[in-house]
Amino acid sequence: MADCLALRPRATDGFRHIGFFYRSHGEYATAVAGFLRDGLVAGQPGFAAVPSARVSLIREALGADARQVEFADMTEMGRNPAWIIPRVLRFTGNHPGRRVRYVGEPIWTSRTDAELREATRHEALINLAFATENADILCPYDLAGLDPAVVADARCTHPLLLSGGRQQKNPGYAMPFLIPTSCRLPLPTPPHDATSHTYHTDLSEVRALVFNHATDAGLTVARANDLVLAVSEVAANTLRHTCSHGTLEIWHGQYEVVCEVHDDGIITDPLAGRRPPDPRDSGGHGLWLVHQVCDLVELRSDSTGTTVRMHMAVLHQAVAG
Amino acid sequence: MDLLTTSVATVESAGEPYTVVALSGEADVTNSGALHEVLEAELARQPRALIIDLGGLRFMDSSALHVILRANRTMDRQGGVLALASPREPVAKMLRLTAADQLIPVYPTVEDATAG
Repeated sequence: MADCLALRPRATDGFRHIGFFYRSHGEYATAVAGFLRDGLVAGQPGFAAVPSARVSLIREALGADARQVEFADMTEMGRNPAWIIPRVLRFTGNHPGRRVRYVGEPIWTSRTDAELREATRHEALINLAFATENADILCPYDLAGLDPAVVADARCTHPLLLSGGRQQKNPGYAMPFLIPTSCRLPLPTPPHDATSHTYHTDLSEVRALVFNHATDAGLTVARANDLVLAVSEVAANTLRHTCSHGTLEIWHGQYEVVCEVHDDGIITDPLAGRRPPDPRDSGGHGLWLVHQVCDLVELRSDSTGTTVRMHMAVLHQAVAG
Repeated sequence: MDLLTTSVATVESAGEPYTVVALSGEADVTNSGALHEVLEAELARQPRALIIDLGGLRFMDSSALHVILRANRTMDRQGGVLALASPREPVAKMLRLTAADQLIPVYPTVEDATAG
């Protein structure tokens, strides 16, 4: 028996999720390029999704090795943080049977509060979504620019920390919860002038209301249709999973249109709609579509019901489908 | 007026019969049961080729998609072929985002589907 064990290929160390807090561009470039280069030396494909200004820092530091690394502008790829996990799973899926390295910087200083909450949630959910993946994930945080509360949450979402060139266990990981408290607090109250609508079974009326409000607020027809699909899918869940009505609130400001649906349903899976569904499955496409077509989705669910808040920025182009 | 209307026809192309189920209006969770019944009735005739014409659909949600995916599985089992035709952009996008278009062929028109 012992011999058999000895003959097995050396066990990989599974999944590692590493937080890295940097103070300068020099420190950033050295650590991130070093992380990716160590992977290349070991035959591990690399992928870096960071804000575009920092893509060039990493490219310069990697020199000729940069050609072997895949890059993405995180401000596009991760504009909605729920798009990141499926994109990285596609990268790991492109390299079956191989350990991979991924650098993900989903949090930057100009993010809105709602985006920061969802990007922080995304960091926490990485620990669930990649638990069985064979990957090293490094997440850089800009100590100089970010709010200390955001940095404190990052100390809660990473099982390992990179410091002084060494990876160390993070005693603050998942303390007190896997999902940081800031992501679990009730959402800010909708504005007083929000349009409110109660629906029972007439989802066509809900869709018309959303379409008209969205186009009036300045969304293109394509993006208004995206929001219509998202709201209709959430409202369909009310009909599927509850015995009562649901409520819709719509409002818009200068920069975005927001739709919020509340019902008595309860969603317990923190990764619901965040992993690509198998098209052969006969369920699980609804929330996936909601996350895919919206710029940002916030979801709160407990014993009192479920609230889904869907954001669409007025200025962005439709997401290619 | 019904939110979703369906009509069934048989067309011939190159000597082969094709069953065409045309949908128009809005297909959502409130009428996916009715859609399922219409498709089941056609599947029971064991057609070799079934085309769902989506051209008249202003909207389709994941409940309707699930009914179509189930019909596709039945067609697979029966050795037939299911195809989708002429989706408008919002419906076509939804088929792409769910990767349903990787599982079921989608054609720009019913004529293309019978030629394909």
